[in-house]
Amino acid sequence: MYFKLAWRNIWRAPRRTAVILIAVIIGVWSMAFLGALMRGISDQMVRNGIATLTGHIQIHHKGYRSDPVIENNMAKPSVIEKVMRDVLPADALWTSRVRVNAVASNARHSSGLTLVGIHPLSEARISFIGEAISQGRYLKPNDVLGIVIGKVLAEDFETELGKKLVLMSQDKDQEIASRAFRIVGIFTAEMEATEKRFAFVTISAAQEMLGLNKEISEISIKLSSYKEANTVAYGLRSALWSSDYEIHTWQELLPLVTAVLGMYDGFIFLWFLVVFIAMGFGIVNTTLMAVFERMREFGLLKALGMKPWWIVRQVLTESFFLLVIGIIIGNGIGLWTVSALSSNGIDLSSLAKGMEFVGMSHIIYPAFYAKDMITANLVVFVLGLLVSLYPAIKAARFTPLQAMTHT
Amino acid sequence: MYIVECKNITKTYQQGNVAVQAVRGISLLITKGSFVALAGPSGSGKTTILNIIGGLDSPDAGEVILDGNYLSKMNQSELANLRLHKVGFVFQAYNLIPVLSALENVEYVMLLQGVDTIERQDRAKAILDDVGLEGKYSRRPAELSGGQQQRVAVARALVSNPSIVLADEPTANLDSGTGLALLKIMKEMNEKRNVTFLFSTHDHMVMDHARRLIQIRDGQVADDQGEENTDAS
Amino acid sequence: MAWRNVWRNPRRSILTILAIAFATTTLIFMLSWQFGSYETMINSAVKLHTGHLQIEAKEYRDKKNIRLTVNSPKAVGRVLENTPGVAAYTFRANAFSMVSSEKRTYGALVSGIDPLREASVSSLKDLIRKGSYLSADDTNQAMVGRLLAKNLQVDLGDELVLLGQGRDGSIAATVVEVKGIFSSGQDEFDRQTIHIPLLFFQQVYTMAGTVHNVVVFGESLDHVPQIKRSVKTVLKNQSDMNGLSVLDWTELMPGLIEAIKMDLVSGFVFYIILIIVVAFSILNTFLMAIFERTREFGVLMAIGTTPGRLTKCLLLESASITMLGILVGIVAGSLITWYFQVHGIVISGTSELLRQYGLPERIYPQLSCLSVSIGAGIVSIITLLTALYPSFRVKRLRPVEAMLAV
Repeated sequence: MYFKLAWRNIWRAPRRTAVILIAVIIGVWSMAFLGALMRGISDQMVRNGIATLTGHIQIHHKGYRSDPVIENNMAKPSVIEKVMRDVLPADALWTSRVRVNAVASNARHSSGLTLVGIHPLSEARISFIGEAISQGRYLKPNDVLGIVIGKVLAEDFETELGKKLVLMSQDKDQEIASRAFRIVGIFTAEMEATEKRFAFVTISAAQEMLGLNKEISEISIKLSSYKEANTVAYGLRSALWSSDYEIHTWQELLPLVTAVLGMYDGFIFLWFLVVFIAMGFGIVNTTLMAVFERMREFGLLKALGMKPWWIVRQVLTESFFLLVIGIIIGNGIGLWTVSALSSNGIDLSSLAKGMEFVGMSHIIYPAFYAKDMITANLVVFVLGLLVSLYPAIKAARFTPLQAMTHT
Repeated sequence: MYIVECKNITKTYQQGNVAVQAVRGISLLITKGSFVALAGPSGSGKTTILNIIGGLDSPDAGEVILDGNYLSKMNQSELANLRLHKVGFVFQAYNLIPVLSALENVEYVMLLQGVDTIERQDRAKAILDDVGLEGKYSRRPAELSGGQQQRVAVARALVSNPSIVLADEPTANLDSGTGLALLKIMKEMNEKRNVTFLFSTHDHMVMDHARRLIQIRDGQVADDQGEENTDAS
Repeated sequence: MAWRNVWRNPRRSILTILAIAFATTTLIFMLSWQFGSYETMINSAVKLHTGHLQIEAKEYRDKKNIRLTVNSPKAVGRVLENTPGVAAYTFRANAFSMVSSEKRTYGALVSGIDPLREASVSSLKDLIRKGSYLSADDTNQAMVGRLLAKNLQVDLGDELVLLGQGRDGSIAATVVEVKGIFSSGQDEFDRQTIHIPLLFFQQVYTMAGTVHNVVVFGESLDHVPQIKRSVKTVLKNQSDMNGLSVLDWTELMPGLIEAIKMDLVSGFVFYIILIIVVAFSILNTFLMAIFERTREFGVLMAIGTTPGRLTKCLLLESASITMLGILVGIVAGSLITWYFQVHGIVISGTSELLRQYGLPERIYPQLSCLSVSIGAGIVSIITLLTALYPSFRVKRLRPVEAMLAV
């Protein structure tokens, strides 16, 4: 009967209830939707970062990260491969690379970039490059002279498919090694920076150019979910206890992305609070009105012997209904908007340069995080009841006489 | 055996800058099971006395003993409990909860007392039948006439099996016929259930039905007719 | 009368005023924060990289070809000296080269700078972390970015071999000594740049007295359009310089401007949503203020008040609540913003990130007339719109019905 009474009470002033419900719904919706939008952006950043040759875990020779030269190579990949077979989950993918800084030049231009020697087949399943070719073709395992470069780089160098590109880098003996490659493919990427930064050749071509045998620079591992990275990395570290290797997870490899994620966490929570405060004023005011209007009734209930605590409970039950309805509808609309937008994404191509500047791709796919939803709803629900305490206590304090003489 | 003992009660209200002495030393003894009217013009202090007896208001001086409880020694929560179990109220303006049906209004008091659902419904229906509202259980207050609403209020006051029902001008808002009918029901309940009724009125027709009539003038007892001997009849 | 009505129910009015004040405060603070960080970002980017304006050969921006030069820098300098609003200018020349230390080789952008002029234009001199800035008579001395120095494994006094292509297509090769190591905090810049004196650069890369950019600083950002206009006209009329283009900082850093636009737009989306929530929160108060008094309005209408007058009176009432709220909001917002403007705000864990955008770890919001008036403006417009609806409902009242209402 409590619930019945509360339920009927909130519909006594349908317009008032509707107005405050709309406030709660818009608030909850905005929490859900903007939260999902920001998560979409950060997810995309993580995905981009991971696809741009990072992977979830990387293994290098000790010192490679601070001094990425060819001497810091892993001479016996077979040892690591054996360990990986033991430690990695069955569905994990991995590939090995030779990766050095190099200078690319043709008759007109020269510029610094990262030369990556890859196993075309296993690489394609791990990083973006497998699906990024826009002109020409992807590398074949037996390509000796083929090179794949980014679209922006090709434009900067005023070059095209079939033309030559000379790459220079330091070889194993610290001598300058140079080699002319022929452009067989041009790739596009989410970020212009990626197109400028990487050039791909086969791993055997790179090893030959740099005077290597079987040595590699890095191993990149992709797991079924990025959340497993820490546990798997821990497993690898204990199995590869030799101090010759360093193992990093994507959080360590992409410190800026990690920092953005942290900032977004804080920002999303702050947003929840700010929206809530805005709603809070409405909830308090509306509940106060509802309470003052019914002063006589509360007086009567008290005269009948109702204890103050029961009145508090009564008022809170009414707020409870308001909040629950608002939360359900708000979440519903939020879910609906997000799912409607997440299939095609929100295209911000008109701001592409700005997005590039802050390291975002220009299509945003909103993503729901259960964690955010729970936080948002908890914030609204708990704080909503908390602010309703004020009118509730106010109502409980009416003395029967005051209340009944009040008109 | 007295259900209510009032000893020399005084009460002064502050109205703006003027102190109004509403009750100036009233002493009353009310026997269990009696049917007593407090009569007097408006402003004579009737309502204040009822409120003080019901524990809604406290006197400046004097003592009220309700069914053996010294009201001055009780705190708010104990008073609330006392009202819940020992006192039934009927007010001038019907004071039903508008969102609840007749039956639910009656049930509500028992809900506060912690009576279980089935018993609640049975008792509420029985008492509504007693006051002549069978078949109107599910009507909301707005769908009932003034007399019917006041009968629901009486039913609500009685359902908790109180020792005393305090009714402040219960017939004031009703036409004479309806008022008389309500009074008959109250009297019937008084006899059938042996519940004490103390009600205030300024209506002569209502006074005529009281078995004891206490006249109040300017916060004092001006006349007290009937006493215990009328009960005996 | 409107004023007295506001205080008939003080608690409700205060809560409404607080809600409006809260929205205004939040907006003023957030806008000041945004504007403050934009200004810092623009300033640091302008100081470090682009200057306010650059004069360079027409296709240089896109092609970065060493042959696309400004052939008579001195003449351009004279033009600039005669242009009002120009505070300083300097010349730069750039060439991509292989840079080798004893052990390592990396590609880097070698920039020739005029040590004296550069110091008056850019923040480079303040970024030296080790060693010292170039002096006017230095020749084969270099300043190296922190990360490049780390990659090359060099320190002060070590030698570097530069190997590139001169303007005439010849091989340009020289040896320089590391005199200073600078750190801007922007990894990209610190990993790729090396500065040598302009005169020495011109010799090594056979520039024959030419440069690639003339970097101009105005007295303030506001002078930029006017400088751009007058320099353009002058250059157009001089035959030896009409192959040059004048680019302002927005053209030099389109990414930055778009990022700022994007941030502004997304900020506004947040603000609008916030204010709509506030609007619905207070709509009830406005509505209540009217329905509660239906009876009173009935009486007022019965004695001859026109509905229009009532509406006006009610609007006045809502407007005074709104204005009070906004006033409180402006005061609170300004005080909070001012406090942080003096003390700065540190968001832990973001300093690395902020540095990449040229922002210091401590951000100082910038209280301005603009942020205050935009913040207060948006809130008042939406709140007053909210107040319109109930006020116009009064017009529909009929005196007899109104008086019967409870």
